[in-house]
Amino acid sequence: MSRHGLRRCAAVLCALALTSACTPDVPEGPPLRILASADLADMQPILDDLRRETGMAVRVDYRPGVDTSPLPTGDQPYDLAWLSSDGYLQLVLNDRPAPAPVSTPIMLSPVVVGMTPEAATKLRRQAVGASLTWADVADGAAAGTLRLAMADPRGSGGALAALVGVATAAAGTGAALRPEDVTCDRLRGFFSGQTLSAPSSAALVDSFVARQDDVEALIGHESTLLSLNASGKLRRPLEIVYPADGIVQSEHPLVLLDQAERDRYDTVVSWLRSRTVQERISQRTLRRPVNPASRRDPRLTGSTGTALYFPDQREVVDTLLEKYADPKLRRPGRIIFVLDYSGSMRGARMSALRDAFAGLSGADRTHRGKFFRFYRGESFTVVQFGGRVLRERNFTVESHRDLDALRDFVATGQFDAHTAVWSALSHGYREAVESDGDRSVAVVLMTDGENNAGIGAEEFLRTVRRGGRSVPVFAVRYGEADPLELARVARATGGRMVDATRSSLLDAFKDIRGCH
Amino acid sequence: MHKWIGSGLGDAVPVGGSAVDEPRLAIQRQPSRAFLGGRFLWSIVPVSLVAVIGSVILLLSGNAWTPLEPIVVVEGKLASKSDYFLDDEVKRLLLKHRVRVRITRVGSRDIATSNLDPYDFVFPSGQPAADLIMARLKEQGRSPTTQKLFTSPIVLASYREYAESLQAAGIAVPVTDNAGPELYYRLDLKRFLQLVQDGRRWNSVGGMASANRVTAWTPDICRANSAATYMALVAFVRNGEEIPKNQRAAEELAATIKPLLGVIGLPPADLVEPYTSPEGRSRPIVVIYEHQYLSYQLRSKTHTGSVDADRVLLYPSVNFLTEPAFIPLTPAGERVGRLLVEDPDLRRRAIELGFRPIGESFADGGGPLQRHLDAQGVPRPPEAVHTGTTAHWPPFDTLERMITITGNCPSR
Repeated sequence: MSRHGLRRCAAVLCALALTSACTPDVPEGPPLRILASADLADMQPILDDLRRETGMAVRVDYRPGVDTSPLPTGDQPYDLAWLSSDGYLQLVLNDRPAPAPVSTPIMLSPVVVGMTPEAATKLRRQAVGASLTWADVADGAAAGTLRLAMADPRGSGGALAALVGVATAAAGTGAALRPEDVTCDRLRGFFSGQTLSAPSSAALVDSFVARQDDVEALIGHESTLLSLNASGKLRRPLEIVYPADGIVQSEHPLVLLDQAERDRYDTVVSWLRSRTVQERISQRTLRRPVNPASRRDPRLTGSTGTALYFPDQREVVDTLLEKYADPKLRRPGRIIFVLDYSGSMRGARMSALRDAFAGLSGADRTHRGKFFRFYRGESFTVVQFGGRVLRERNFTVESHRDLDALRDFVATGQFDAHTAVWSALSHGYREAVESDGDRSVAVVLMTDGENNAGIGAEEFLRTVRRGGRSVPVFAVRYGEADPLELARVARATGGRMVDATRSSLLDAFKDIRGCH
Repeated sequence: MHKWIGSGLGDAVPVGGSAVDEPRLAIQRQPSRAFLGGRFLWSIVPVSLVAVIGSVILLLSGNAWTPLEPIVVVEGKLASKSDYFLDDEVKRLLLKHRVRVRITRVGSRDIATSNLDPYDFVFPSGQPAADLIMARLKEQGRSPTTQKLFTSPIVLASYREYAESLQAAGIAVPVTDNAGPELYYRLDLKRFLQLVQDGRRWNSVGGMASANRVTAWTPDICRANSAATYMALVAFVRNGEEIPKNQRAAEELAATIKPLLGVIGLPPADLVEPYTSPEGRSRPIVVIYEHQYLSYQLRSKTHTGSVDADRVLLYPSVNFLTEPAFIPLTPAGERVGRLLVEDPDLRRRAIELGFRPIGESFADGGGPLQRHLDAQGVPRPPEAVHTGTTAHWPPFDTLERMITITGNCPSR
C-alpha cells in the first residue's frame, strides 16, 4: 500500500510539472494475463510501450484458435482476451444466461486479397466488372489459374472472417447467412485453389514468402498484407484487392474476462484508444484506428467498400467450419450425370442442356456462376440414356481442354425412342457406390419424360435400400417428367428434386452444386 | 456507495465507449473494509497529500473549490447518454459541485436487467427500459422521482449518395433549409420498409454499387434502446400505425417483422464511432440518436470550419417522442439529478451537445437548441418528431415480449 502511495506521489509531482507525457498511475498487481489471437503477435512492441508509459505489465499468450474456441471460464487463468473478432464468442455466449462480457474495439483491419500484379491483371481481364470480387477469385481458383494461400479459419481470426465473407458473397442474398444458406457447400471451387495453409496468419506469411513463385494470391488482413509488402521479403509487392462484393472488417476487440480487473482493463483500453497510441498502431502495424480523429497511415486510404454481415446464428458458423475441415469435401468431388437422350430432348431442350454445361464450365459470368462452376480436379461421369444406356464417358478436369471435351460429349450423341429412367439411374448409382470412398460423390439425374422401359422406381429404391454406401440422387425435372415420383426417389436417397421447368437447366444444376 | 477519493483530476473511463485521452491520477475504488485495516494509516498520508496538491492544481487552473472538501464519486450506469457525462465541460461543471461521475456503459436494456445495487443512478436512453427499471424498483417498495432532462429522437444516419438514391426512388425528400447544405431528409418509413420487405438491393435503388439488401443497421435489439425503439417503430408502421391489440397479436406481429430486422445478422456493438470514421460507408444507414449526429456536426464545424455535408440524416415520417429518464437510486444520485435540472451551465451544455431541451418548440422561431445551431452555423434539423406522426408504445410487458422475439434474446 505504501508503495502504491509513493507511486501516487510521483504521479502528482508529474502533474505539478504540468507535463502531459508523465506516467499516469495504474492499479497495482501482478501482470495482467491476456489471451490473444496468434494473429496479434505483431502487437507485442506496442504492449511493451504500454508498460513503459503506464507502468502496467501485461503477460500475453498468443495462441491460434482463440477466435473460434469458447473462452476459458470458471477458474480461468486469463484476465482479458484480445481477439480479431468477438463475433463467434458472442454467438457462443448467446446460448448462456450469463451477461455478455465487456468488449471494446481497438483497431480495424479489413480482410482482403493480395495478388501478384500479373494474376490481378489476368483476373481483371476475365472479370466482367471493373473491380474484382470474391466471385472472380473463386472463378480463378476453380479454373486453376489462381492458387490461393489462406490460413486455417479454425486457427486464424482473419481466415474465419474470410470464410464467413466468401460464403456470404457466394450465397449472394445481400443479407446475413442463415442456416438454409449453408446447407450446400458453395465454396468447393474457391477452396480448390487453396494450395497453401497454416494455423495462423504469421505462419502463413512465412510459408508464402518461401513459395511466392507458385502461389498467386494471399488472403488475410489488410495489415498483414501491407506489412508483408513493406518487409522486403517479397520479390515484388502484392497488389491489394478490396473485393467489390463485400468485405468483413475485424475490430480486434479487447474483452474483459475477469470482472475484478475492470480498472486495469479500463486503463489498457483507454491507453490503446488514445489518439497517439492509435496513430502509433496505425504506423507500425498498418491497422486502421477506431478513433475517427486519429491520422491514418497514407497506405490505409483504400475504401473498405460494402460490409458483409456476420451471421447471428452459431449454427451457421459451425457448419461453415465443419465443411471447411471435412477432408472429404476438401478433395475434389465426383458427379455422375445420368442424362436423358430420348427423342423429346431433340432441338431446344438439347441446346439448353449444352448451354447449361457450357455455363458450368466457365461461360456463365454471373456472380453465382463464378462460384458454382466446375473446378479443377473435379471429375464427372456422363451417362447418356434412352431405352438403355447409350454412351458413357469419364472426365477429370485438369485444364480447360477437359471441360471442352465434356461439353462436346454432352452436345453429341444419338437419341432413342424409349426412356428407361430407373434402369439408367440404377446403372449410374452403382458406379457412384463403387467409386472412391474418400471423395464426395453424387448422382444427378436429368429427365424430361415418363419412364417407359426397364425397371420401375420401386425396384430402383430396393437396390438403394439393399445397403452399401449411401449416395444422394439429385433429380432435375425437365419437360414432362413426373415431379412427384422424382422428388420421392431423390428424397429417399438423401438428395432432392429441382424443377428446371420453372427456371432453366443451368439454374437447376447450379441449385444443387455442393449439396452433397 | 459513493466513494471518498483523494483527487479531483481523475477520469471516468467509459467501458465500451470512447476513450479519454489524458493522463489519469489515481482513482481508488475504495473498498470500505480498507478503512478498517491497519494499512489504512500507511495510505492516508500520501493520499491526503494528493488531495491537497490536487486542490492547489485546481485552484491554479481556475476550478476553485474549497480545499479539503471531499469529492464525491457517483456511480452511474448509462447507455448512449453517457456521451453527456464523458464531455470534458460537463465533468468540469460537475466538479465545481464536487461531484465526479463514474460511468459503466452498457445497453439500456442491460441496465434494466442487471444488478442496480452498486449504482447511485441509472439513465437508460428511453422509456421502455425506464419502465422496466421502475417496475423492478416498485417490487422492492421503492419509487424514486425520475427526471426528464432532455430529449433526442432516433434517426437514420446515412451518406449523401444513399439519401439521394432514396430520393430518386421517391422514398426520401430533402427538407429544405434556408442556410447551409441540406443535411436532412424526410424518409417515408412505410415505403422504405416495403423496400426492405421486398428484398431490394442497393444496386437496384438509384444505381449504388452495393449488392447488399436495403436495410438499416441497428445495435442489438436485446440491449440497446435505439434498436428496440426502431423495432417498435417498424412494428407500428407495419401494423397500420396501430399498436397490437393484445399479447398474441403482438407476438405474431413481432414474428412477421423479425426478417426485416434480421438482415444484418449479428449487430455491431457500436454504430456511432464507425459512422463518423472514414470506413463508415460500408454501413449505408445506421440507427442512432439525433444528438449524436448534431454533436458530430458541431465538432466538425469547430475543427474544420464547415459541417460534413457528406453525412446526412433521414428523419422517419413516424417517430416516437424519446425522453430518457434519469433515475436516482441513492441520495447522491438524487443530488446529481437536481444539479442537471437546476444548474444553468449544465443545462446549457446539454444543448451544446445537441440535445433538445424538454418541451423545446420548433415552431415559434426556435428554442435554445435551434439558436445554438444557428449561432454555430449548423443547419437546423426539421421538427421531425412534431410534424410527423407520433408513434405509440405498446404496454411495456408487450414490448418486452416483442423485443425478446425479434432480437432472439437469451432468457435472463
